[in-house]
Amino acid sequence: MKKILALLLTLALLLGMTGTVAVADDDWITLRVETYDREITGLDVTDCWQLHYAQEHFGDPNHIKLEFVSYARWTEGDLLTNALAGGTAPDICVTYNGSLVQQCIDDEGIWQLDDLIAEYGPNLRAFLGDELLGYGQSDHDGDGTKEQWFIPARRISVANVGNFIREDWLKALNMEKPTNVEEFTAYLRAAKEAKLAGENTMPFSFGIYVPDPLYNVRRFTDAWVDFSQVTEEDWFAYARNPEMLPGAKEGFRWLNTLYHEGLLPDTFALSDNDKANDTALIMGYNGFFSQQPDQPWRTDKNYQIELEKNVPEGHWVTVNPFKNESLGGKTLHDIYAANGLSIIIPLTTDEKTAVAAMKYLDWMAVPENMFAMQNGIEGINYEGISPELGIPYGVKSADAVPNENKMHAGDICFISNGLYYGSDEKNSAALALPFAGYEEDVVASYVDALTDAWTQISFTVAIQAETDYGSTIKSKQGEFLAAVVSCDPAEFDAVYDAGVQDILNSGAQQMIDEFREAYKEGNYRGVFPGNL
Amino acid sequence: MQFDKQAPSLRKTNRMAGLARDWRLYLMLALPIFWYLLFCYKPMVGLIIAFQKYNLFKGMWGSKWVGLENFRFTMQMSDFSYALVNTLWLNLLGLVCGFPVPIILAIMLNEMRSVGTKKVFQTLLYLPHFLSWIIIGGMVLQIFSPTSGIINATLLRWGWIDKSIPFLTDGPHWQATYTLVGVWQGMGWGTILYLSAITGINMELFEAAKIDGANKMQQIWHVTLPGIRSTIVVLLILNIGQMMNISFDRPQILGNAQVRKFCDVLSTFVYRTGIENHKFERATAIGLFQSLVGLILISGANFITKRLGEEGIW
Repeated sequence: MKKILALLLTLALLLGMTGTVAVADDDWITLRVETYDREITGLDVTDCWQLHYAQEHFGDPNHIKLEFVSYARWTEGDLLTNALAGGTAPDICVTYNGSLVQQCIDDEGIWQLDDLIAEYGPNLRAFLGDELLGYGQSDHDGDGTKEQWFIPARRISVANVGNFIREDWLKALNMEKPTNVEEFTAYLRAAKEAKLAGENTMPFSFGIYVPDPLYNVRRFTDAWVDFSQVTEEDWFAYARNPEMLPGAKEGFRWLNTLYHEGLLPDTFALSDNDKANDTALIMGYNGFFSQQPDQPWRTDKNYQIELEKNVPEGHWVTVNPFKNESLGGKTLHDIYAANGLSIIIPLTTDEKTAVAAMKYLDWMAVPENMFAMQNGIEGINYEGISPELGIPYGVKSADAVPNENKMHAGDICFISNGLYYGSDEKNSAALALPFAGYEEDVVASYVDALTDAWTQISFTVAIQAETDYGSTIKSKQGEFLAAVVSCDPAEFDAVYDAGVQDILNSGAQQMIDEFREAYKEGNYRGVFPGNL
Repeated sequence: MQFDKQAPSLRKTNRMAGLARDWRLYLMLALPIFWYLLFCYKPMVGLIIAFQKYNLFKGMWGSKWVGLENFRFTMQMSDFSYALVNTLWLNLLGLVCGFPVPIILAIMLNEMRSVGTKKVFQTLLYLPHFLSWIIIGGMVLQIFSPTSGIINATLLRWGWIDKSIPFLTDGPHWQATYTLVGVWQGMGWGTILYLSAITGINMELFEAAKIDGANKMQQIWHVTLPGIRSTIVVLLILNIGQMMNISFDRPQILGNAQVRKFCDVLSTFVYRTGIENHKFERATAIGLFQSLVGLILISGANFITKRLGEEGIW
C-alpha cells in the first residue's frame, strides 16, 4: 500500500511539472498587453469591459487577439524586470520605473520605435505631440541623432504639491490663513497651545517618504533657498540634492525647531508610520499636511470625508505659506514633467506583433476610442455629457458600477495619464468632477499647486553615477533628514554639515559632477525657479 | 524493513536486490534530490554573473566579462563596511543572547510535570515563529515607540522616567531591541530539536542518578546536558556558519532612517545597491562573498570542534 502511495505521489508531482503547449491555428496573432492591477474589488483586469471593447473595435477587425496581462501596480517594476530577463514580458510593457527603461535601452533589449511610429502611429503622434515624444528619445548608439526608445504617456495634470490646513482650526484660533512661514509657524504653535484636538494634538503631520526622503520635504525647504547664490547650472547640478542648496539649511533648522517644540510627531522617522499618520489625519489630530493636490478627496484615502465622520466641522483647505523672499515672495511648487509612464516593446516580440502593438496604441489615441476607453458607457459609468462643458457628469464611483462594466481609465488607456477631453479647459474642469460637493476646494488646490510652478528636473542622457549611487543617496538622505530634524538644536550645525559631507562622500559628488556636465551639454529638462 | 544478515561477498547483489525491491521509495527520494539539483545546484551556475557586466537580455552566457570589477565597486562603497560590521555584530549578539535560551527553555519544559500545562506553554512559545516580520514590526512599533508606545507611555505616566527611552530611535538601544525581539521570536521554535534530543536520553540514566542521590539540578547538569551535547555542538557550528547571512525582512522592517548606521546590514545593502538599481551582478558578487566567508567560518568551527574531541557535522 505504501509503495503504491509513493508511486502515485511521485507521478502526481511529475505531472504537475509538465505544462501545456499552446497551439496557434490561423493568421490571427495574439497581442499581450501589460495592465496594472490595483486590486479594485470586482474589477478583473484580465477580463474587463475595456478589454472586450478594444477586442471588438480593434482586435476583431485586425485579426488580433488582445490579452491583458495583470501586473500588481506596486510591484510592477520587479515583476517586469523578471519578465524581461526571462523573455516572457508582454508585447506592450508599461512602467513608471525610469531606471528600468534606461537599463533596457543600455542593454538593447527593446524595439527602436521610430519606424513603427512613422508608419503605424499617426494618431498617436498627433495626440502626444513631437515635444512630448522627445522624452522617449535618446542617442544610444552615439551617432549624433536621437532614437525613439519608449513612448511617454501624456500627463494631463502636472500638479504635484498639495498643502492643506484645517479651516475650522483657523476659525477656532481666530486666525487668518497664513501667507508666510512666520504666520504658519504661529498657527502651528497656537494650535498646540490651545490643544485643539486634546492631548493628541499634533499640528504638523510629518513622516519620511522612504523611497525618496527629500522629494516631499524640498517643497518646504526650498522656501529658504537663497536664489541670489544659485545659478541655473547649480540648480540642475543639485537636482537630487536639495539639502545642499545655499540657504536650505535654515529650512531644515525650522523643521528641527518644530520637532523640539512638539509640533511634529517624534515618530516621524519610524518605518510603517504612514498608517499612524493617516489615522491621525482622519481622527482630526493634525492641523496641516502636505501630499498631492487632490489628496483630501481621493477615493483611496479620503481624508476629508473620513475626517467629517470624526470631526463634523473638520475642513481641509489649501494653503500656500512657503514664500521665498529671495524670489520676491514667490511660493514655489514643483510640478511633474509632461510625460507620465513609459511604454516599451521588448525585442522578444516579433515584428508582426510589434506592428500590431503600435496599431493598438494608435487606435487608442483616436479621440472617440480614447473617450470610450476612459469613460465607459453613458448611463452606466456616467450619467450624461454636460452640454456647456462637453465632459461627462454624474461619474459613478467604482462600487456603483456593475462588475462587468468596472474599469480603470489610466491603467488601461495608458497613453494618457489622466482624463483627456481635447482641451486644457475641459481637462481641468474634469479634475474636480469626481469630487462632487468639494469642487471649489479642489479647484483652489489646483490653482495653488500651479502657482509659481517649476517643472521637475530630468536628464536626457543616462547618468551613470545616478544608476550606481542613486538609491544609496536616497537612503542617506533619509538618515540625514532623521538626524537634522531630531538632533539637539545646539548640535544642529555640526549634524547638518556632517550629514551633507557623508552624502557627498557616498556618491553624491559624482552625481553632482555628472549632472553639471549634462547641463552644460544641454541634456536636461526642467525649470529653474530663478527664471520664473 | 528487516536487516539482511548475509556474508559480505553477497552484499553487492543484495544492494541490487534492495534497489529492485524498493525502487518506488528510491524514486520518491529522487524527487527531493532533483529539487536540490534544480533549485540549489543549478542556480550556482548563475554565480558567474558576479564576474560580468550583466545584460538583462543577453543573460549570463552573453554578458561581458569584467573580472572582479563588481566586487571592487561594491566593496569600496561607503556603506559596505558598516553593513558588514553590523551584520556580524547583530548576528553575534543574536548568537550570544539567543543560543542558550532554547536550551534552557527545553530543559524547563522537559521538567514540567503536567502534560497539559506543558502543551499550553509549548504552543505559546511556538506561536511567534509563525508570525511574519511585518506583523511583528507593527507590534514592535506599538510597544516600543517613543512617547506613544505602550512601554514609554506607561513609564511616563507613572513618572518613572521623564524622557522616553529611545528603543527604536537610538542606535545601541535599537540593536538591543532588535536582538531581544529576535530571541523572543525564535526561542520557542528552537526548543523543538533539544526536546527531541532530551527524549532520546536513556531513562535509566536518570533513575541511576536519582538512586545515587542526585537532585534535580545535578540531574540536569550531569545527565540532561551531556545527553544533548552533540545536538548543541552541531547547532552551534551551523549557527556560526550563518554569521555572514542575515535575513532581509527583520532588519528592513524593524530598522528606520534614524538608526540607519546601526541597522543597515548586507541584505538591505544588497537590496538597495543591487536589486533596486537592477545591478544583479553586484548583488550576486556580495552574495558570493557572503557564502565564501560563511564556508570558511563553518569549516573553522567544525575543525575546532573536532580538535576538542566532539563530533563535527562532517
